[in-house]
Amino acid sequence: MTAPTHSAEAESPSEPTHGDGPRPQSAGEKILRRTGRAIIVAFWVMVVAFMLIRLSPGDPVTAALGGEAAPETVAALRKTLGLDVDPFTQFWQYFTGLFHGDLGQSLISGVPVTEMLRTNLPVTLWLILTTVTLTLVISIPLAMVIALARIPGLPYIFRTLTAIGLALPSFLVALLLLYQFGLVWGIAPIFGYDPTFPANMQYLWLPALVNCVVLVPVLSRVLYSSILDTLDEEFVETGVIRGVRSIRFYWFYVLRPSLAPTVVLLSYVMGVMVGSTVILEMIFALPGIGRELVTAVTMRDYPVVQGIILVFGVLVVFLSLLGDIIASILDPRVKLS
Amino acid sequence: MTLISAGTADWFDVEGTVPSPKRARRLKDGTLGLIVGLSMLILLLLLGILVPLLSPYSIDESIDIPFLPPNGTFWFGTDGLGRDVFVRVFSAVYLDLGVAFLGVLIPFAIGTVVGIGLAVSRSKVLNGVVGSIIDGINAFPLLVLAIALIALLGPGLQSVVIALSLTNWARYARLARTRAQVVKQQGYIEAAQTLGYSKPRILFKHLVPNVSSETTAYALSDLILVILLIAGLSFLGLGAQPPTAEWGAMISDGRATLQMAWWPVIFPGLALCWAGVSLSFIAEGLTRRERDVKS
Repeated sequence: MTAPTHSAEAESPSEPTHGDGPRPQSAGEKILRRTGRAIIVAFWVMVVAFMLIRLSPGDPVTAALGGEAAPETVAALRKTLGLDVDPFTQFWQYFTGLFHGDLGQSLISGVPVTEMLRTNLPVTLWLILTTVTLTLVISIPLAMVIALARIPGLPYIFRTLTAIGLALPSFLVALLLLYQFGLVWGIAPIFGYDPTFPANMQYLWLPALVNCVVLVPVLSRVLYSSILDTLDEEFVETGVIRGVRSIRFYWFYVLRPSLAPTVVLLSYVMGVMVGSTVILEMIFALPGIGRELVTAVTMRDYPVVQGIILVFGVLVVFLSLLGDIIASILDPRVKLS
Repeated sequence: MTLISAGTADWFDVEGTVPSPKRARRLKDGTLGLIVGLSMLILLLLLGILVPLLSPYSIDESIDIPFLPPNGTFWFGTDGLGRDVFVRVFSAVYLDLGVAFLGVLIPFAIGTVVGIGLAVSRSKVLNGVVGSIIDGINAFPLLVLAIALIALLGPGLQSVVIALSLTNWARYARLARTRAQVVKQQGYIEAAQTLGYSKPRILFKHLVPNVSSETTAYALSDLILVILLIAGLSFLGLGAQPPTAEWGAMISDGRATLQMAWWPVIFPGLALCWAGVSLSFIAEGLTRRERDVKS
């Protein structure tokens, strides 16, 4: 297959190479740069997670203890939270603590936050993995069929349905599906979790399916218009002329070049998707970090809140990185910003 | 292109290669979506005024018959405390949409100012630090940051608006900055500078309108997300608190008794979907129309 590289030159203006001019980057270099950027963003994610508790309106100590707590109790909690020293020392303690795997400990149970993450994070990661897999499995054939089957009116129905799907609240969908599948038909467990691999799918398929209600419209839409754009490309024409047929044609000429924008978008909507796992974990009673976050918020357990939002932020940063790298492997024309 | 449409491979549809008839229909598609969306929204807003005004029941009034199924008097039935679901669902229209509107407007204003400010400022340090904080905030799922802030502010709709203002501005700031950097390079800005127009005039008459047209388009789709977010937070018990008639809180309220009575959950849910879908149709219609004008 001839790699579709012809438009790469068209996008970057060719300047005489001096110093930092836009010279062509090797794939490895591109990925390395993008990884470097992700690490920098991850650092700022850490800073935001740190500042959140300290700079936002409302004092965590008075919020936790209430207005009329004894001064000694207040001072003791300040010390436990590490709020009794100046902000720079606080940041240094927090920063060095991170590299020792120390995120503080729960104010309620005294369990180290890292310990809680060890049991809860895998659940959330499995949910995300299942969601992404299911979304791709549904979106790709759907977009292919709608773009390639020439059924009049079908794209119109597709657009209308996706516009509706985009606007549905996932918690309502979750509630109704859980009711229907769990209570009426009894084919999905209404609570509980099994941490081992094949067994956990029994608990994860329904929450993942709910997430798909919002994700499939977004993704299949982009993939659909991306396939239409790809069909306009000259290499597809070449493929047709050369008589390339069947699976080879669909994968190399149509789908693979169209997938890159979809994967990039997937990493964009990752934030929304990871956010909605919080609500889904609450409804399906999955012991992930999202449910832990809501519990910690209602208990005003600040070290846990800080630790979990840090994990959420870093998770999104690296999932986006992964998405961009996959996109650049699928289509070398993709620029990693 | 011509090769394909000449029939070498007529088994796939190449949109855009068939010129006039299709384009004309697409224009109609966009308009249709817009009309449907707007009518749905106006209907909801009208019912939001009329139902609480005309209904013989108030939102907090109990008729002492809990879980009365929908009937001629109580069209949406009554909830677990014997309150009329019909009047509660439509009383929530202005609360839900109003809070969401604020939750978009404030971040929109802050973000646009910060973004344009960064684009016109020459300070590399300012751009570096604020830019990094923007990236840092944007990396988080909005819902997660909002939940964390509510931990400090305490639950309530006011906290939800504050939390949204403190976090969502970063998305608008990034958009406005990128856009302002592009607009700054345009010929008409250069022309205005050559003509010797004052800096404030260029800023407010040329830069701001051209930047905010882009952010406004984003704000519309953001409004859908924010409506769902507010209802979601209330559903989790972090937004509107129980006696308040708010869709998310009502759904959460009826959740435990869903098996016994579906109406206290389904009707607020339908209202929420109705609001979201109407805005989604409007956004879809607007983008399709714009695309047609451009192409």
